[in-house]
Amino acid sequence: MRIFRTLAGWLVVAFFFFPIFFWTSVAFRNAKDIFSWPPKFFEFEPTVRNFEQVFGISLGFGFGTQETVNPGGGNFYMAPRLWDSIVVASMSTVLAIVVATLAAYCLSRMQFRGRHEFVNWVLSTRMMPPVAVAIPMFFIFKQLNLLDTYLGLILVHGLMNLPLAVLLLKSFFDDIPAEIDESALLDGASRWTIFRRIVLPMAKGGIAASAVLCFIFSWTEFLFALTLTQTGIKTVPVVSSTFVTSIGTAWGNMAALGAAAIVPAFIVVLLVQRHLVRGLTMGSLKQ
Amino acid sequence: MKDSVKKHYLASITDKFVRGQLGRREFLRAAGKLGLGAGALGMGFGNRPFGAFSSARAAEELTPNPEILKWLADVGKPFAGTTLKLATESTPPSNAINGQLKKYFEEATGIKVEIEVLPLEQVLQKLTLDVASNLGTYDLYYIDQSWAASFSQDVFDPREQYSAKADLAMPNYNLDDFLPALVDGIAKYEDRWVGVPYDIPIFIMIYRKDIYDKLSLKAPETIEELYTNSKIITDEMGPNVYGTTGQMKSGHYSLECDWTAWLWGHGGSIFGPDGTFTGNDEKGAAALEYWTKLKATMPPGVDGWTWDGQGQSVAQGVAASMLSWGEFFPYFDDPTQTKVSGLCEVAVPPRAISLRTVKETGYGEIPGVGHQGGSSLAVSRYSKSPDAAWIFMQWATCADTQALITTLGGGTGPTRASVYDDPRVLAQARVGAGTTRHLPVVRETIAKHMGSEPDLPEWAQLSSDTIPVSLGKYFAGSYGSPKEALDDIAKQVGEVLKG
Repeated sequence: MRIFRTLAGWLVVAFFFFPIFFWTSVAFRNAKDIFSWPPKFFEFEPTVRNFEQVFGISLGFGFGTQETVNPGGGNFYMAPRLWDSIVVASMSTVLAIVVATLAAYCLSRMQFRGRHEFVNWVLSTRMMPPVAVAIPMFFIFKQLNLLDTYLGLILVHGLMNLPLAVLLLKSFFDDIPAEIDESALLDGASRWTIFRRIVLPMAKGGIAASAVLCFIFSWTEFLFALTLTQTGIKTVPVVSSTFVTSIGTAWGNMAALGAAAIVPAFIVVLLVQRHLVRGLTMGSLKQ
Repeated sequence: MKDSVKKHYLASITDKFVRGQLGRREFLRAAGKLGLGAGALGMGFGNRPFGAFSSARAAEELTPNPEILKWLADVGKPFAGTTLKLATESTPPSNAINGQLKKYFEEATGIKVEIEVLPLEQVLQKLTLDVASNLGTYDLYYIDQSWAASFSQDVFDPREQYSAKADLAMPNYNLDDFLPALVDGIAKYEDRWVGVPYDIPIFIMIYRKDIYDKLSLKAPETIEELYTNSKIITDEMGPNVYGTTGQMKSGHYSLECDWTAWLWGHGGSIFGPDGTFTGNDEKGAAALEYWTKLKATMPPGVDGWTWDGQGQSVAQGVAASMLSWGEFFPYFDDPTQTKVSGLCEVAVPPRAISLRTVKETGYGEIPGVGHQGGSSLAVSRYSKSPDAAWIFMQWATCADTQALITTLGGGTGPTRASVYDDPRVLAQARVGAGTTRHLPVVRETIAKHMGSEPDLPEWAQLSSDTIPVSLGKYFAGSYGSPKEALDDIAKQVGEVLKG
């Protein structure tokens, strides 16, 4: 029975891992092997040319590759664009988490008129399709000179993730017994001290889980990143779309970029993995 | 290193060098590693099969003309420090300018050029936003021929710019050098020029000479011959190789492109002179019946492919012919990318059964089996620096730059007559990556067989949504007959035109 369970587990892992494996293997193929019919899974001549083209560098495994031309136009090399994505995703995550933590704590602990309606309103903003606000935002950002800037995109991604972070964190704070706060209040601690020294450390798993989600949503967001940027900054999903050319899609380059783009998000998840598991299971045992 | 490996390397690096992807210094260093002295190289470069350039000549000639650079330096001086922005599709001309050529313009003028490369539909989105806001986010517009009517009032007519600003006019720019058929088909809306023709992907016949020879077939001269040849190949060689292929993805603009070629080729048209949809008349129905028959000779899955899948089906040896964009041909000839390098040949599109005249159609539609999908480059009326943009536009579309684009950009079709005869372009007419050996056929197709879509503001919606969605449904079996499908399209088009 145990063998079957293990086998089933590996099958599930293989099923979900296969797209990543296949996509990554495409990144190491030349066009002839990408489009071979019937498809080849292992029998192909590996090449790093796609990575060299995307990064605009020579990896030293081939000859004369420093001059390779990016099919996407020559100046969208991945390295600076990867940095753009890292800056936008991390800063917008910090913004969303800082604001959301304070808001969620207030919503969890303080009683005020309209609190319930406010939570519903926060929830409703998640239901709004981004395309409905992208174009008005373009006009506003143009007037404010925020178009094509880090600050502009950080603000948008931060705001986009804020409702999710608030709702998630509120549920985490709700699961921390309010009696702990009350005991601390009786002992003379201020609200700020209770929040900073008692509640925040207890909720750090939940905060980590929320931060990872915010980071991933920002990392993969396309519509705002496309509409509100031009050539100054470009995030990874937008660069990825530039490989769709007038004479077809540069699948090898796109796969190389995709494979490389997984790495930073993977590192972030790895760094907070310990807190993440705890955060995701927080609240699973109710009092 | 084995001699054969050495030769392979030499061929590979020389091709890169001739295409401008390898600097002279790196090239010589690499050649040195192969143990070849400069003398040997010089001797070897005389009449090799993969190019007719000498190394020195290639290095000198694949850079902009010094006289033009001097003009740029003189005329661009007052605009130094300006930044120009252009949003464009990833096309061979835009990529050649962006990746390899704009540095010369920037160095000469001090004007910075930022080129945003995006998929076509996103270019449309960005331009629409720019026009709606009048904010001048972009100085130059890349205008697909199907958008010409929509943007005609938002750009400067280049003829007016050329005559109004004599001090900024490039000597010998020569607007008359643009192929007249392209000016009519791509750049003109009513009496205005909506920019100048910038690139010209056009349908030509590409076929596998080896397969055609093996089965004793000759390049199809008529539409009926194309079907007969394709059926023979599919019957003989299927399911490994199919006779022809298509770009028939349901709901995609590419499906509309294929449709027009067959419609025009059967004597039909999209609109009549009174502006009503005529694609559902007798000729239209015959065209759809023919296409249905032809589809049976194509690989399974063709109705999921845009031009991307269509091109790959030829490149990977699955299909023996295609009537499609000539821009693919230089790619097919690249031995590192495809299985068919040197095996394909080109021909003008098969002759139409009958052809309507422009007068018998509506909205300036030009019937012809060689469907063109070109674009224009224009200066935005909302640009904050229209004069600097005009200088860039003249440089990007002058004969010298076009010759460089054609050689460096991988054999894309030039829009100027003189470029087809440019020695740099002619020298690339050999088997190999970036070949220009298909260009005589491209030129003849533009002159004699070109078909061009109608110009009307609603065309972007009709061509990218209404028509291909319904055609997709037809091929999925949602209609009882071709006539029923076309009548439904006629009804929908009528509703769109009514607004």
